[in-house]
Amino acid sequence: MAGLSRRTILTAAAASPVVLRHARGETPIKIGMPVALTGPAGEIGTQMRHGAEFWAKETNAAGGILGRPIELIIQDTTGDPATCVRKAQDVVERDGCRLLFGMTLSSEALAVVPKLGEWNAIFMSSDNGDGRLTGSSFVPNFFRANISGPMETRVISLWLRQGKLGKFFALGMDYAWGHNSIGVFQDEVKRAGKTFVGDVYSPIGTKDFSTYITKIRQSGADGCFLVLQGDDNAAFLSQARDYRLQDKVQLITSIVDLNSIHAVGDAAIGLAGSTRYVATIDNPKNQAFVAAWQKQYNALPDVFEGEQYQACKMLQAGIEEAKSIDADKLRPALESAKIDSIKGPVAMRACDHQAVQGGYIVKVVKKDGAKFPVPEIVTTFPGDQVTPACRQMTFDS
Amino acid sequence: MDFLAFLVTQCLNALSQAALLFFLGCGLTLIFGIMRIVNFAHGAFFMLGAYVGWSAVYVTGSFWGALVAAPILVGGFGAAFEMGILRRLYGRDGHSFLMVTFGLTLMMGEAIRLIWGVAALQVVMPQSLSGIVFILDEPFPIYRLFLAGAGIVVAVVIWQFLERTRLGLLIRATSQNAEMVHALGTDVRLVRSAVFGIGCGLAGIGGVFAAPMVTASLGMAPNAVIDTFVIVIIGGMGSFLGSMIGALLVAFVQVFGSYYFPDFALAFMYLIMLTILVVRPGGLLGKEA
Repeated sequence: MAGLSRRTILTAAAASPVVLRHARGETPIKIGMPVALTGPAGEIGTQMRHGAEFWAKETNAAGGILGRPIELIIQDTTGDPATCVRKAQDVVERDGCRLLFGMTLSSEALAVVPKLGEWNAIFMSSDNGDGRLTGSSFVPNFFRANISGPMETRVISLWLRQGKLGKFFALGMDYAWGHNSIGVFQDEVKRAGKTFVGDVYSPIGTKDFSTYITKIRQSGADGCFLVLQGDDNAAFLSQARDYRLQDKVQLITSIVDLNSIHAVGDAAIGLAGSTRYVATIDNPKNQAFVAAWQKQYNALPDVFEGEQYQACKMLQAGIEEAKSIDADKLRPALESAKIDSIKGPVAMRACDHQAVQGGYIVKVVKKDGAKFPVPEIVTTFPGDQVTPACRQMTFDS
Repeated sequence: MDFLAFLVTQCLNALSQAALLFFLGCGLTLIFGIMRIVNFAHGAFFMLGAYVGWSAVYVTGSFWGALVAAPILVGGFGAAFEMGILRRLYGRDGHSFLMVTFGLTLMMGEAIRLIWGVAALQVVMPQSLSGIVFILDEPFPIYRLFLAGAGIVVAVVIWQFLERTRLGLLIRATSQNAEMVHALGTDVRLVRSAVFGIGCGLAGIGGVFAAPMVTASLGMAPNAVIDTFVIVIIGGMGSFLGSMIGALLVAFVQVFGSYYFPDFALAFMYLIMLTILVVRPGGLLGKEA
């Protein structure tokens, strides 16, 4: 009973004012969104929710899709794969959704995708990074509109080849993600003809990074690759600034996002890395999006808000092309979907359902008048260089 | 970096960490000494301190304001919680306290999420502390020196408070024989509330001190509470001096252990705890359990 009333409230909160205005007897297009709103991934999930709500409101105000209003059914998964599968099953079987967004963590997405065929539902991912989703774990009803983890690392490695830095050290969180990413990074450093001088892993939840900072200084590296997130990332950046580490070493990270920058303020200045989306992308679509977003939320759209909006637009393009939300009609339409996105042209690929798109290297800089430092685009790499071959997670060259 | 510079800076790092751990550990041990309860919510009070500190900086514009406001507000909240809820549970077995303080941790975490949001918050350190000094040609943050100094000052103040003041005397007496103190005409309930408040206030001030280094974030509580338990178990439940030694030991082992054996950074802390539990089951300075 508690679950039902909460769902009703969330649904109402997500869609009611617009749905009512456009309820012309048309049945709404229901999109289920099991997403991590609480728990360690809650920050990312909340961004995804904002992105989807913004799109739904905007689209409903313009008359919906195929004349039908959009209704988001948002459920909190807490970032737990088992809960996520249950919530996804709920929105599919109880609420009748045949379209899905959300599944914040790749572990959640990997748990859900084997069920998509049985549910006859299409899942449009906006943030899942795991390369396997468009590789070994590929299913026909899964589509990825966002930049994947391997693509992110690829952008950094392309940038390294151009760059002046020669000796690299790496610091990562001591679990699968940290070890994997640094392994890939190490290979890329060697392929670029540069030197990799060492790596170290900090336990999750490390508060004092002084020892690690000492190690980085002693390594003599001029660049340090960081695979840290959340609290650990904020703690490291704050303390690195205290020790003036940035004066000697260029810090490089796999994702630059506004939340981390806001958490540490000026300590983020000088940080370089790839990003999936940044509000300063210079094209008319993005400028219009950022302006509308600022009007509604009084803030710049962050990485996963932009990525979610792009994923929504991708799904919308597919539905409009197919003139249906039925999976069998929608799938071929999505496979050839091309949109003029906030990130420029983005095209879905039929062979593995990965959207081909450019990647960005940004550097965090201080801007006059802005309360927080902002990421500025340093280089853009085109989609054909950034996207791996079909169903692959690695790059040949 | 020569070896001497390395040694000196690492020792200073360890001292600054020990100070943070001490704020947590001595509060927990004081509470245990008087009330014989394990305050599982101690990490949550630490986290609350960081968030209240952030708001105090926001309102007063001063980090020093936060250092005053956070312990008072967090300590006051702790004392109110003791009077309103914990007091009803005395006489029951220890499990009820664990359950209630664990529940409080969850509720405080969610309340903080609702009030301050999910994003980590930056607490800016005062300009005067944000610089660096060169120690044997190595840059070292002034803030860490300040933290180590603050740890020593707070330790001396608490020690003098326990030894020299009337409330301190009552606290020591209550921890030894509460019934006798009660029989002699002191309201032991007030002593308990005061101690719970002071212990939580210490955690709160620790939160403010930690915030400029780690930001105020929702992950603070679970991380802090585990370290704190280790310190108190090593030092001996209820022993003030023990919590000081425990904090120093854990900090030095973490700093040097994570340098020389980074793969076993966490294991060292527990290894010490295990060794001490085997040799002295009550902790270094604790009574036999």
